[in-house]
Amino acid sequence: MTRQEQLIDTIPENPQAKSGDQAVITAENLNVYYGNFHAVRDVNLHIAPRKITAFIGPSGCGKSTVLRCFNRMNDLIPIARVKGEVRFEGRNIYDPNVDPVEVRRRIGMVFQKPNPFPKSIYDNIAWGARINGYRGNMDELVEESLRGAALWKEVKDKLKQNAYGLSGGQQQRLCIARAIATKPEIILMDEPCSALDPIATLAIEDLMKEMVEKYAIIIVTHNMQQAARVSDFTAFYNVDEGRTGELAEFGPTKQLFTKPRQKATEDYITGRFG
Amino acid sequence: MTTQTKAEAKTSGMPEGEELRRQIQQRKNRGQIWFSLFQLSLIIAIIALIILLSNIINQTFGLSAVENKIDPESLVQAAFEKTIVGRTDTTTSEDDATLSQSIAANPNAIGFLGYAYYREKADALRVLAVENVEPTEETVTDNSYPLSRPLFVYTSQETLKEKPQAAEFLNYYLDTVDSVIGEVGYFPVDQATLDAARATLAAATAAGDSEGEDNPIAISGSSTVYPLTAAIVESFQAAGYPGAITLESVGTKAGYAALCADRTADIANASRRMTRQEAAACSKNRRTPVEIQVGADALALVVSQENDWAQDLTLNEIQKLFTVAQNWSDVREGWPDEPIERFIPSLESGTLDFFVEKVYVDSYPLEEMPAASLKAMLLANISTGRARALEAQQPFDERNQAQMLELVRTEVVQPRVVASWNALPSLFNRSEIEARTLDDNPEAELHWKSWLSWEFLTSTQSSVPEYAGIRTAFLGTLWVMAIVILFSVPVGVGAAIYLEEYSKHGRINDILQTNIDNLAGVPSIIYGILGLTIFVRVLEPITSGKAFGLADPTTANGRTILAAGLTLGLLVLPIIIINAQEAIRAVPQAYREAGYGMGGTRWQVIRSHVLPSALPGILTGTILGISRAIGETAPVVVIGASTFITVDPNGPFSKFTVLPMQIFQWTTRPQPEFRHIAAAASIVLLILMFTLNGTAIYMRNRYSRK
Repeated sequence: MTRQEQLIDTIPENPQAKSGDQAVITAENLNVYYGNFHAVRDVNLHIAPRKITAFIGPSGCGKSTVLRCFNRMNDLIPIARVKGEVRFEGRNIYDPNVDPVEVRRRIGMVFQKPNPFPKSIYDNIAWGARINGYRGNMDELVEESLRGAALWKEVKDKLKQNAYGLSGGQQQRLCIARAIATKPEIILMDEPCSALDPIATLAIEDLMKEMVEKYAIIIVTHNMQQAARVSDFTAFYNVDEGRTGELAEFGPTKQLFTKPRQKATEDYITGRFG
Repeated sequence: MTTQTKAEAKTSGMPEGEELRRQIQQRKNRGQIWFSLFQLSLIIAIIALIILLSNIINQTFGLSAVENKIDPESLVQAAFEKTIVGRTDTTTSEDDATLSQSIAANPNAIGFLGYAYYREKADALRVLAVENVEPTEETVTDNSYPLSRPLFVYTSQETLKEKPQAAEFLNYYLDTVDSVIGEVGYFPVDQATLDAARATLAAATAAGDSEGEDNPIAISGSSTVYPLTAAIVESFQAAGYPGAITLESVGTKAGYAALCADRTADIANASRRMTRQEAAACSKNRRTPVEIQVGADALALVVSQENDWAQDLTLNEIQKLFTVAQNWSDVREGWPDEPIERFIPSLESGTLDFFVEKVYVDSYPLEEMPAASLKAMLLANISTGRARALEAQQPFDERNQAQMLELVRTEVVQPRVVASWNALPSLFNRSEIEARTLDDNPEAELHWKSWLSWEFLTSTQSSVPEYAGIRTAFLGTLWVMAIVILFSVPVGVGAAIYLEEYSKHGRINDILQTNIDNLAGVPSIIYGILGLTIFVRVLEPITSGKAFGLADPTTANGRTILAAGLTLGLLVLPIIIINAQEAIRAVPQAYREAGYGMGGTRWQVIRSHVLPSALPGILTGTILGISRAIGETAPVVVIGASTFITVDPNGPFSKFTVLPMQIFQWTTRPQPEFRHIAAAASIVLLILMFTLNGTAIYMRNRYSRK
């Protein structure tokens, strides 16, 4: 069995997985510049609701940059400029009268390194809800979020303790709990497992499979097995000679891994580069 | 050629084997040089700090020679004498015979007399034991009877050389005194003491120019010793001495003066030992005193023979007996409930002085006197005008004992430091200091003094260094620092937040940043000039409080705490901004991303995540700034802090002074004592800074642990 065949065996069958089916968020001619550097060129992408979409590609191909465009995280980088449109619920989120604060509340994010606030576990989750004007019962929300992130059983007795007392995997699940506490529609995950050991990684992957019943998830990953294991759709990014990233191929995961349309995709997923 | 091929054969062109080891050793050695240099720098820094600290400590502690205007002992003495004599049931008389007569006739009577007078009437009087010691020849001679005193004659080595006839007389004195002394009514000394005295005389007499052979022998001094010496003079002349002898009774102190200072007497009678100061005065006048003990005197406490209860008294009982006790039963339980009738020598008598000194002064220091006695001492020794002024400040009867004691000290005793030394010479050169003090200030007493004391912290500025304190300056520093903190912390941290979190990074920002960095290095005097121009002059209506109707009528200009606080605040502003910026920059970007990622606004992210994480760093910078501001002198001088002020600052519009200003001002004073208090104030300033820094470190650790 070749490495490619092994990989394909792990991919779940997903009959409904069809690109462009009532997209929750779409990118249209998305270009990103860092100063004079053209980082990402002409990305067009439809993200399906309640599905996991994986972004894969070699280093520097712009997959994280595109991900961060989806909740205007790139605004925090002073030299970053975005051209093109990202349409969320029919509106371009880069429209001048769209408030990035609102976008981010509705499109949550989990980062590469677990980054809980240096506060208690409880406050980590409650903070987002509180600033967003949550009026319900905070204790219930915290519990619900922690259950949603499969962390409740482990931390229910130490909610007042500092989040940095948790292990790396627990911290990352806390970050996920924190993200879902603001009731987003989409969750962006930027290599969420790269700082974790294999067991914690599996726990997060299982969690993603549960969460996808409620949210659309976009995950950037360097780990092709992970993309194959968890995602319904996969977007493969590549870089051209000018180090500008572009979307090389996008499709249902099974199809992309079994019948890649592009030579570069095939080379990448069989491990010839990247 | 061969070496080259060998090197090539050895693989990679790197040294191997022995050469490698040598090469590594070489690299290590080079590192060792740097290590030593770093170590040396640290040692130099530590030595410098130690020198600084030890210098301050050296100046803060040390011996000082204190001279009292009036000795506290003499105050106590006078107070007790007055109390004792003032009792209505106490009869005084200058005639000892009258006293012994009265005591003998009354069973309830008690009194004290010279032992000679007791012996005259020994058939009707009974002498009491004191502390279970009866006055006998033995107990008086060995000084175990508490109310005994030795009797002396003093001369000087120089006299003995110049006047052999004086030596001759003294030798005769020693030979005959024991046979005469009993008749005069005193106690003889033992033979050993007399022999020692003869030896001293012989040693001192050794060959000299006998130029004054024909002059009379002049004797002066104590009235107590007078009868004894008179008896010997009589017998000396009867034994065939042809020359003249003059004999006066002027009192011991005057006798010493005649012997040493005036050099009018050859021999001084004395009923007490020469003090160190008197001896020093002698030496200074080139007279080396020679002490000869010729006998001993005892004071007898006597009762009538009809008194059948009192056998002995303790010192404590005697103290009660002549002051507070009414009846004999008050003195000791079991004694009859009869009123005590006292018969004692009058105020003019040396015997009363001796009695009071022995019984009361030695056991009652001034500090333990009750407030009423202190008040009496005070009123007896200050002018009526001064008394009225003090009474007006606070009635004497409302002041407690400690306050009255303080008043007596400052108004009556008036101790003055006449000379002072640093700690090191005080420890290692003590004997020389003692000698110098005796020479220069014979009246003064040497004390180990800490110039840093509670009084120093709580008293205000004074032109007398030992009364000067830092209260005003300390409060001024606290007030100014409060203004500095209120002004520069919010402004500085706010500016830092703006620069780091809000402003667009660009050219203007760079210019701003460069300017702030440069401002941190501007000399403080320039801030002083700025403060003088802006806060003291231009903004005077605000800084003086006129604009708010709060101006201090005694100030009437802008040289206030507010102006100083704002000036120093400006001075430390760049430091606070730069440190706060560093702290904010050090907050992990991940916290901000997480905050924004959850839908936080910029302010919410700053408020909830950036500031709490940056707080320890901001605190550190703030404390650095405040520490700098506390120690600044130049700007405070320029904006015109008061140099002499005794009124506590009571608000931002008060005139003021601050600790470094006070230290600076003291170091410029000519009197050497101001150096000591300047050092003491430096210690306070250092402690204040260490406390501030300690608090900052504590808070930083607390917050960063969370």
